[in-house]
Amino acid sequence: MNVVSQLVNGLALGAGYALLAVGWTVLLSAARLVNFAHGQLYMLGAFVTWFATTRFGLPYLVAIPVALVAVAALAVVLQLLMTRLTLDQNIVSLMLVTLAFGYLLQGGAGLIFGGDPQIIDSPFQRQDLSLGGARFTGQDVVIIVLALVLYAVAFYVLGRTNVGRMVRGVAEDPKLAQLYGIDAGRVYLVVFVFSAVCAALAGAVVAPRSPILTSIGFEEVIITFLVVVLAGIGNLIGGLVVGMGLGLFTAVFGTYFPPAYSTAAAFVLLLVVLVVRPQGLKAR
Amino acid sequence: MTTADLGTPVDAPPSAAGNRRGLPGAARALGWLVLVVLAYLLPTLLGGSDRIFATVVLIAIFAMMSYGVDIVLSYLGEVSLGHTLFWAAGAYTTALVTVNAGWSPLPALLASVAVTTVLALLLGLATLRTREFVFSLVTYAAAIIGLTVVQNTGALGGSDGIVGVPVFELPAVDGTYVARTNAELWPIALVFLVLVVLLVARFRRSRLGTTALMAQMNGDLATAMGVDVRRTRVLVFVLSAPVTALAGWLYAYQRSYVSPDLLSPTFLLFMLTAVILPGRRLLLGPLVGAALLTSQQQLASLGGDADKIVLGGVLAAALLLSPDGLIGIWRAAVQRVRGNRR
Repeated sequence: MNVVSQLVNGLALGAGYALLAVGWTVLLSAARLVNFAHGQLYMLGAFVTWFATTRFGLPYLVAIPVALVAVAALAVVLQLLMTRLTLDQNIVSLMLVTLAFGYLLQGGAGLIFGGDPQIIDSPFQRQDLSLGGARFTGQDVVIIVLALVLYAVAFYVLGRTNVGRMVRGVAEDPKLAQLYGIDAGRVYLVVFVFSAVCAALAGAVVAPRSPILTSIGFEEVIITFLVVVLAGIGNLIGGLVVGMGLGLFTAVFGTYFPPAYSTAAAFVLLLVVLVVRPQGLKAR
Repeated sequence: MTTADLGTPVDAPPSAAGNRRGLPGAARALGWLVLVVLAYLLPTLLGGSDRIFATVVLIAIFAMMSYGVDIVLSYLGEVSLGHTLFWAAGAYTTALVTVNAGWSPLPALLASVAVTTVLALLLGLATLRTREFVFSLVTYAAAIIGLTVVQNTGALGGSDGIVGVPVFELPAVDGTYVARTNAELWPIALVFLVLVVLLVARFRRSRLGTTALMAQMNGDLATAMGVDVRRTRVLVFVLSAPVTALAGWLYAYQRSYVSPDLLSPTFLLFMLTAVILPGRRLLLGPLVGAALLTSQQQLASLGGDADKIVLGGVLAAALLLSPDGLIGIWRAAVQRVRGNRR
């Protein structure tokens, strides 16, 4: 395998990781919230897309919005249940509640979608492209472009607009922000739904690369954690860089060692970083 | 620290606490003894079928497993999502040394405890300087990566696990005590359960236990009083791991095989729910929680996916509706009844 194809492989993988992590990073940086059901929302994004294409015969590009709307509706319900905990900034309970939601969603998805592995039929997955000897699919291109666009949008909205200022104000101090007339509960709702939709989108576009199971959410979320902790809590641009970096690391590691251990190797890397630099790659 | 939120302090209503303290020590010890004897007789009183014995043995094992999480969650106020790693490490170490090297149960227990302590120490030290929920993220990642490593490592049996853990045998006065059935395993499970409860009771009164509680309630105050919060955190974490490993050790014998499912979220959710459902910081809380959850899964199972919904739903409902758990509901009810009487 040559260097160019490793690079392309790694970038495609890494863009997928970054796409999976962007929702979490926004949730953390903008609202200081955590969501351990993120992986299950990713899984639901993938499965609803699969369901809409196979059962309703919708084209892939129409099935994606269906999945996003379905997950957004679910996210509204979840966040409304958690409003009191989020306003109290009760992180311990939020971690546990979202973990419980995730498990519940996995059980529910198992009942609805069954226990067999499924494949999402995406037209982009069938487009074989090549560049300088590296072979990749149209799906890889979609993933890379979407990741860059989403990070740019999140960076712009959070950093440069009034909405972003409101969100950051609520993250700083929800009670004080309310004194200024900002509806903190609504801001949390918007941020949580955005984050959930990002997860679902990642599921709809990343998952066609391999067969999906209702249990994938549990394992996929680990990559998100690695990205978030390595980048430093809530470091948006760091998330993109670390996501891409992890993808390259996985691609290179996979050519010399059994690929099954690549996440474990990345985790060992994380432990070393935590000892040397507990705040992650964040400058502050 | 984000741990100032773990519900109300343990304080029972003053009258109840007063009553309990009013009992002389001897009477209290007698009360506990009666409780243990009743627990021992319980499966026989319930008909003594193998299903009943299997259920009570599993309750004891899962309660011990949950006590490890309880020590960290209730007293330190940290959420460890990595205790399934210790649970699996205890079981896998036992399976490895008994199947491959023919060790007997007690040396296998020592090996399990040693391996788990090293693992906990490594994880505890690596997360020493992390703040907030990074500890939870890292412990969670450790458990899930443990799962992929175990599934892909031939020496650990891969996704099939290790089968053929021998029958539990202990040297006894007249030769050996052999536990072939759940009924014969029950006394062993009960003895270890009592030991674990005694350990947790001792921990609650120990200097480490009170320091942990202080660090949880007010980390700054604890630091001002000269407590090394980080050291306390690592010590409590390292103490909790062998408790869960002990349960894993016994589970390997009960099931006679080990497999990667030990690292599945099922056990993680079970441990957390068993601690939180009855109410945190109760000595017998994890036992009550484990008994409720195990009874549902063993005697009234609705199937794998539906049981997931039950377990996740119970945990979410407890946290959203009554963060103090069942005991919180009970206390509120008692208070209301008293208020009505006045």
